[in-house]
Amino acid sequence: MEAKEKNQFGSEKSHGDHINIHSSGTADFVTSSPILSASMVEAFFTPGLWNHHTSSCTMSFGESNIQTATGGVNRVPIGKPVAMSDRGMLPSPPLGEFPHSLPHFPVDSGFIERAARLSCFGCGGFRGISLLDPSHSVAPPSDASEDAVGAQKAELTALSLPVEHENIKGIAMNHKRDPTMSHVGTSNNESREGNLCEDGQERLTGSADAAGNSSSGDLGANKRRKATEEMEEEEDQVLRGLQLSTETTKDLAETKHKSYIHSGKNTKDNSEAAKEGYVHVRAQRGQATNSHSLAERVRREKISERMKCLQELVPGCSKVTGKAVMLDEIINYVQSLQRQVEFLSMKLAAVNPQLDFSIEGLLAKNLLHSHGGSSSAAGFSQEMIYPQVYSSQQVLAHAGISSMLNPSDAFRRTVNTEIPMASGYKETSLQVHNSWNEQLVMQMAYGANPPLNSQVISRKPDGFTMQKDRSN
Amino acid sequence: MESKSSDENCNNPNSELHPSKLMMASHFLRALFRIQHTTTDSSFAGRSRKIRRAAYASMAYSVGTKRSWSSALLRKLRSRSRLRSPNPRRAKYAALPGKPRVARPQQREMDQAQVLRELVPGGTSMDDCRLLEETTDFVRCLSTQVRLMQAVVDSVSI
Repeated sequence: MEAKEKNQFGSEKSHGDHINIHSSGTADFVTSSPILSASMVEAFFTPGLWNHHTSSCTMSFGESNIQTATGGVNRVPIGKPVAMSDRGMLPSPPLGEFPHSLPHFPVDSGFIERAARLSCFGCGGFRGISLLDPSHSVAPPSDASEDAVGAQKAELTALSLPVEHENIKGIAMNHKRDPTMSHVGTSNNESREGNLCEDGQERLTGSADAAGNSSSGDLGANKRRKATEEMEEEEDQVLRGLQLSTETTKDLAETKHKSYIHSGKNTKDNSEAAKEGYVHVRAQRGQATNSHSLAERVRREKISERMKCLQELVPGCSKVTGKAVMLDEIINYVQSLQRQVEFLSMKLAAVNPQLDFSIEGLLAKNLLHSHGGSSSAAGFSQEMIYPQVYSSQQVLAHAGISSMLNPSDAFRRTVNTEIPMASGYKETSLQVHNSWNEQLVMQMAYGANPPLNSQVISRKPDGFTMQKDRSN
Repeated sequence: MESKSSDENCNNPNSELHPSKLMMASHFLRALFRIQHTTTDSSFAGRSRKIRRAAYASMAYSVGTKRSWSSALLRKLRSRSRLRSPNPRRAKYAALPGKPRVARPQQREMDQAQVLRELVPGGTSMDDCRLLEETTDFVRCLSTQVRLMQAVVDSVSI
């Protein structure tokens, strides 16, 4: 890695010359390439390049670069090597100077938005680019990048963002860079696009001509492709810096500037001290090791884990993949459950005055349900109606209720103590049954179902016969 | 119970065991009986509203304060009951979760999370991670409650 970085340095210097030369020549390209992505990328790259140049050249150079539709600036290689080299070469980039040059660029608010969006697509863009050129796909580092984003323009443009990101990081730009970058981003899309592609190409392949050849619509595509290649090649070399950007894609959406800053601060640390942080998450190959991105990944894993649990709960969602669809299903399910509660409560309200339903019987029935005897439950319910017919049932019901109140408290208390629920409530229920066994047993006796809590029945055989006689 | 076993598979280390169906049943049936015998309100709508509130109350009560959604629900119910006599109109603001909502189509993830927050009691002040946790537990409880009520209706109406 280090050797590669040194190479980058060398190439950087030569590239810088290229940039100077090209800056004037690229103006035409710049204007002809209307693709947003390139311009965006360039905008981001330019700060890095400016850093590079300002240290070595005068600020005016940078300004002139900017003025020449960021042609020269765009030369900044997409890959991290630039960033790395910059980092080595420019320990303290004259960031303060940037803002001066920035005002030259027209700032589009729309562009800023796009930049923000691109930043969040940053890794997606990178992946998109790698997708464009599968032959060039650098294996593991580009794995993360290859996943994603389809060959959409936005993603492609985003591609440039992560690269840019890298550059910025390498230069360790401070906050000032953010407005700078946004300014740059808002500069001509066309210029950026052309510049970016060109820079990437020149840096690695020196094929400025190729960049120049592609024009108009194809310009961006070709450049993007080449940029992809270069990026892929660079990927291995640039290591975490870029991968970090892939991870921070989501971060970028919200904390665009912050992520840039942090990544800039952390790239150096990340390259050396691999997995730092209080969250002991292993950053796999091809993943960022920024503390923020690690935390972000942990959070995402937690969320996905919980989504899996919810998937098991919601019926018919085992095949559904994707957060959005899953969330839709969950919301629908919760709403349907709430509607069911309402409907059932209405039903119960309608039923209520007609029948004097016996609580014990219902409880027993629920016990039956808990034991999973559905057929017996049906039979039991039939039997349950009998007591309601009898006049003595009223007395029994009242007695049952009053006695139930006490056992319910006791039951609740017992249940609330640390008894494992699975077995606990069965036992406690038995205890409750013992307290008001007579009524309950009577109910059960009518059912006379073996699957019913046999222990209760066995416990009170006397009650069984006694109640039977009484009912008769 | 089927739901419990499946949930335990995924959430066992994190969540305690689900409150027993029997406990929920006892609470709910008690409340039902109370409503049936003690209420003087003979209107159908009033009774159904009370029963619905009793359903949520029994659900929240059986879970206790272990979950934030149950505490939020209990708070809502208690504030509602307190506000009822002095100013019945204010109770409307503390809407019970049962109010059906029209699901907006084409919702982005942010909106979906927002809708979910409104559905689950106490969800407005939670981050996404906790929201999903609470949703899991709430769905479990709610489905148990629905099954319980279905059983009661079946047993009574046959």
